[in-house]
Amino acid sequence: MGDVKLEHVSKHYGDVTAVDDMNLEIQDGEFICLVGPSGCGKSTTMEMIAGLTIPSEGEVFIGDREVTNLPPKDRGVAMVFQNIALFPHMNVYDNISFGLRLRNYDKEEIQRRVERAADVVQLEGMLERMPDEMSGGQRQRVAIARAIVRNPGVFLMDEPLANLDAKLRVHMRTELQRLHKELDTTIIYVTHDQAEAMTMSDRIAVIDSGRLQQIDPPLVCYNEPANLFVAGFIGSPSMNFLDGEVTDYGFESTYINVEFDPAEIGVEVGTDVTMGIRPEDVYLIEDERQVANPSHQIDAMTDVLEPMGDEIFVYLKLSEEAHADLEDATGVINDQLLMSVSPDTDVEEDEDVTVILDRTRVHLFDTETGKALSHGIESMVQASGAPGTEAESDD
Amino acid sequence: MSNENPGIGLGADDAEMKRGPLGRWVNTAIKNPDRAYRSMFYVAMVFFLVTTLFPFYWLLVLALTPNNLISNMGLLPKGFNLTVFIEMFQRVPFHWYMFNSFVLGITTTVLVLLIASLAGYVFGRLRFPGKGILMLGILAISYFPPAAFLIPLFELFTGNTAISIGSVTVSSPDLFNTPAPMVFPFSALFLPLSIFILTTFYGQIPDGLEDAARVEGTTRLGALFRVIVPLSAPGVATAGVLTFISVYNEFFFSFLMNNGEAGSWAPIVAGILKYQGQFDTPFNLMAAASIVGVLPVAILVIIAQERIVSGLTAGALKE
Repeated sequence: MGDVKLEHVSKHYGDVTAVDDMNLEIQDGEFICLVGPSGCGKSTTMEMIAGLTIPSEGEVFIGDREVTNLPPKDRGVAMVFQNIALFPHMNVYDNISFGLRLRNYDKEEIQRRVERAADVVQLEGMLERMPDEMSGGQRQRVAIARAIVRNPGVFLMDEPLANLDAKLRVHMRTELQRLHKELDTTIIYVTHDQAEAMTMSDRIAVIDSGRLQQIDPPLVCYNEPANLFVAGFIGSPSMNFLDGEVTDYGFESTYINVEFDPAEIGVEVGTDVTMGIRPEDVYLIEDERQVANPSHQIDAMTDVLEPMGDEIFVYLKLSEEAHADLEDATGVINDQLLMSVSPDTDVEEDEDVTVILDRTRVHLFDTETGKALSHGIESMVQASGAPGTEAESDD
Repeated sequence: MSNENPGIGLGADDAEMKRGPLGRWVNTAIKNPDRAYRSMFYVAMVFFLVTTLFPFYWLLVLALTPNNLISNMGLLPKGFNLTVFIEMFQRVPFHWYMFNSFVLGITTTVLVLLIASLAGYVFGRLRFPGKGILMLGILAISYFPPAAFLIPLFELFTGNTAISIGSVTVSSPDLFNTPAPMVFPFSALFLPLSIFILTTFYGQIPDGLEDAARVEGTTRLGALFRVIVPLSAPGVATAGVLTFISVYNEFFFSFLMNNGEAGSWAPIVAGILKYQGQFDTPFNLMAAASIVGVLPVAILVIIAQERIVSGLTAGALKE
């Protein structure tokens, strides 16, 4: 059936390691997103599942079969490609029926299946068209129909929405989810867009430089990231990071201190740690009543405002010299903070403000290894156990 | 003043008046170089048209002139003898020679396209060490003069080469007067060009299409012939037409690997020479045969040109 297992899979290209000791277990019927920055090895991982690339080491299982060295055609997988890859010399019907014709199905069976697949992706009446007569969204639907027509055990999708415009992408996202519900097959979906991963998948596999960083349901990845990379990658805009040290009183950095008892959350005094806080967990002092467990007050100066409509992103300077430059996704910038406030908040640029942090939402990471030490300082009794061990097991 | 220095005085003062039509044309051409380019284009075009088309015209002149009048020919035919195009088939079974030429050309083309497709796939789409050197080797072989192979190949194909392994002596098969001793050397000689053409074309087909075909259920070979080759149709057509024409035009092997009879797979070149008898040389029949022999290739090129020009890859991918 449709469960997929990778065991110690690696892929080397000369001296370059694209995928490094990857272990993945995907259940039948699951919607998994492989997500990571460009060149992190997620596409290579998918190609190894598809059979287009043979792993240098390790084994791949689909169902109960070991398929490591099987050619793609014998694996029972279907794939949707980033560049859509419809055969331009065939019309829609021939494109969809390509795989069936190769497997010598009879004409009536092919006809029946193609029509059903076209029905699922709403392509009725377009079967005679050539790919170059269709819009991007229609072509994408043909590609999906071509994949589902064979009833594969596993669907592989390599950034299928990357080339569509923003509106169509959101639409196709919901269509894919509907499709998954309807077909109930395993879908492995590669994307570099964490928003796509968050919205669609049952579990997210975050990959960086060829290694699996964390595989968990989207909200777990969001709320309890296993390490600095996951914390910085999941969520937009990205989490704020500040370097500091654990002292007897808690976390101390140049501008921000957060109080806690190091012994209680199992962090040693003197450890270099990076504190992470998401923009929505930074509050203006006026909104203090919304925060059950506020930190110390922090003096800052607003820099640039980005009104998004439903919220405003406020760049805060913690010192005079700070620059508004938070482009680096995982970059640690010690004298700046990004805050998101509700759109009716009265803030202006270059204004002195006082902010507080929600201590239950503060994440601590080991600066050296990047591993998560704690998620939420006040609720650490519940939080520190589970994610801590998860972080261990995933690395 | 003008008496002391007439040259400078004339040139400086009366420049406009002293220029003839050529001078004026040169003057405008310098101001407007497009005119010069256009006239150069026409000169070149007329030159090439005359040099390529005049031989055909000359063949027509010779064919239409009765043989006994062919001497001191001018630019016009001396007579209008259309029956020559019937007589040429009566005197020699020229249609059989043409059939032989077609069979040789088509067999070679199929063989070349098949092998060059495999080679083009490997060179155009796979990465492996030594690829550059192998490509260079093919290029080097394509520059070997075919005449250098004639004698050894003749010995081989007439059964005069024997290899002894211990007590067993195997002599090469006698293939003289069969298509084989022509088709094989032709294929080898014309392969490199086709490999180069197909390598470029196959290399341009996006990887995604091949991957898609393989996931859908083809082998690599299946993907080559079901997706890559159809999408490279202009390239395949070009390679095929060039190979076919080269075989059709070939002389050395066509002339030497058979005894010149229509039943011995001799191609057109032998057919034309066949008109020459012991006591006469019917130039008009030979000219007519030449025209008839050229026609199929001319038609092929005109048809194939359409195919080559029309790209099939439009809208292949959303890049």
